[in-house]
Amino acid sequence: MIDPELAAFLEQGIGIHIGTRNDQLHPNGARAVAAKVEGAGSHLVVYVAEIAAARLRADLESNGQAAVVFGRPEDERSCQVKGVFVDSRSATENEHPLLQKQWDGFLGQLEMIGIPRVSATNWITWPAVAIRLKVTTVFEQTPGPQAGAQIA
Amino acid sequence: MTVTLESLTTCFQGLIPSLFFTCSSDGIPNAAYLSHVEYVDREHVALSFQFFNKSRRNIGENPNALVFVPDPDTGQGWSLRLKYMRSETEGPVFDRMALRIEAIASYCGLKGIFKLRAADIYRVASVEALPESPASDRTLITPSKLDPIFTVKALQDLSARIQRADSLEALVDSILEGLEESFGFKNSYILIPTDQEGVLVTMATRGYAAGSVGAEVRYGEGIGGMVAEARKPIRISGLLRGMLYALAMHRAGREPHLTRLARQIPVPGLSNPESQLGVPLLVRGDLVGVLCLESEVPYRFHEEDKASIELLGGYLAIAIQNMQWQERAADAGVETVPAQKDAENVADTSPGGTNGHELGGEHKLVYYGADECILVDGEYLIRGLPAKILWRLLSIRQATGREEFTNRELRLDKSLNLPEWKDNLESRLLLLRRRLEQKCPAVRLTPRCRGRFAIEVGCPVTLNVQP
Repeated sequence: MIDPELAAFLEQGIGIHIGTRNDQLHPNGARAVAAKVEGAGSHLVVYVAEIAAARLRADLESNGQAAVVFGRPEDERSCQVKGVFVDSRSATENEHPLLQKQWDGFLGQLEMIGIPRVSATNWITWPAVAIRLKVTTVFEQTPGPQAGAQIA
Repeated sequence: MTVTLESLTTCFQGLIPSLFFTCSSDGIPNAAYLSHVEYVDREHVALSFQFFNKSRRNIGENPNALVFVPDPDTGQGWSLRLKYMRSETEGPVFDRMALRIEAIASYCGLKGIFKLRAADIYRVASVEALPESPASDRTLITPSKLDPIFTVKALQDLSARIQRADSLEALVDSILEGLEESFGFKNSYILIPTDQEGVLVTMATRGYAAGSVGAEVRYGEGIGGMVAEARKPIRISGLLRGMLYALAMHRAGREPHLTRLARQIPVPGLSNPESQLGVPLLVRGDLVGVLCLESEVPYRFHEEDKASIELLGGYLAIAIQNMQWQERAADAGVETVPAQKDAENVADTSPGGTNGHELGGEHKLVYYGADECILVDGEYLIRGLPAKILWRLLSIRQATGREEFTNRELRLDKSLNLPEWKDNLESRLLLLRRRLEQKCPAVRLTPRCRGRFAIEVGCPVTLNVQP
């Protein structure tokens, strides 16, 4: 589903948010810290700070539907990956450098649009939960009339 | 602690991207970035509807939505639970949002490409702080919020400067100087309408490289042109992000890069403006000018700044118009320079220049009649009515040797065809004087007394007329 070029975009350290919904179809969401493509593009692991993941857990365990949007502030390139919840676990210490690297990349992106790192000083990224999704569809999300077109 | 929506107005500037979560009727969630969220009132916000995308379709099926907005001052993230109420295609909220979109698009040279279909109004059911994005305890993006800019003292200082100004030139300079020294706005300029319908020209600038006086802006172009067209103030924060968003929409995301922006930013202006504020200078509905402020700080102008500057704009507009009238009224008492004076002036004129003001070698001035435009040594100097005035002055000087003129005789000169009412002659002369200072300092317009001035030529000039 996710080809290598797209995987490189998703894993480069950009803005990531995950959306879910409850049984009354009310949406929920959280900012994510990092993402990793697995299984030759069939799965996506989304790392969310534990304190934020708590409000998604019930939705994921209940209906499993998730949408993850990626945005690169530098040029507003964006895409959305939709998937179904597979499992979740605590992120390991071995994964911590990956999260730090991508988060640092994201803060660098914010700096490019004039938002200093200091504004995110207290944003919480660790401990984190790794939420694994089976990818079902991928959509173009860059602003414009093509936003929403299915690309995988 | 109960958080009210009006306490979050700083979040609604579009500086940091907002997130919009929706869900279709068959239970598939959707997440998308938003250009910005507009504060409507203490219970409602508005989101721009530009395209029939998935978020918009979802809202048609299921009105429940969630928005994340970050506070650019503190870094605190906020979660707003929303319920879609209605779409507005006219009215103040729609106009405000449409103007913002047009202003940014115009600044990118993409005016008219993006249309706001509607302002979607949502009721805010709850506001909660996002625990993963707590407020920063260090330096904020802009500390200015903590230091009120529009203090009575600052207003008094500016007012005193304005009161001291004894000419239009001194007035516009004192306004821009006061905006910097009393309020800290370092980059500003004033546009005034030209004799050509729908065209403005830069009359005074501060904080920019020399040479931007005389730059023309058409209605609808950039923030100054947008303000003139809409006759409403415009404030843009995070302009760079807005421009990137507009460019992304235009190019459908094919890897645009920051460097491309540079070619599309017109002058006058900062090379990388992040915040802009434009205010129409209106007196009883008449556009006297437009005041534009810029900053490289992303969130320089707050909501209260816009309101305060708008009030100030009214005061400045009256001050400028009063000065124009005062100078015009003074003209009535100034007699046209008599013929004998001409003779004296001829006698004073040396071959190389007048009044000891000698600069450089010969200058070639060419007047292009079709464009009403003057070039000096092949470089653009000025056009329109100021060009006609300069040509008239230089032609008389060449023919008679006369150097002193009055505003009154220019008004009576049928070849210039000045309108009987609101001719803005003093503004045109000021613009002409400044353009000469920048582009041809050997030729000067020197005020002698109110309503009377001299044209001083510090080197030989040749005059040539082209069709």
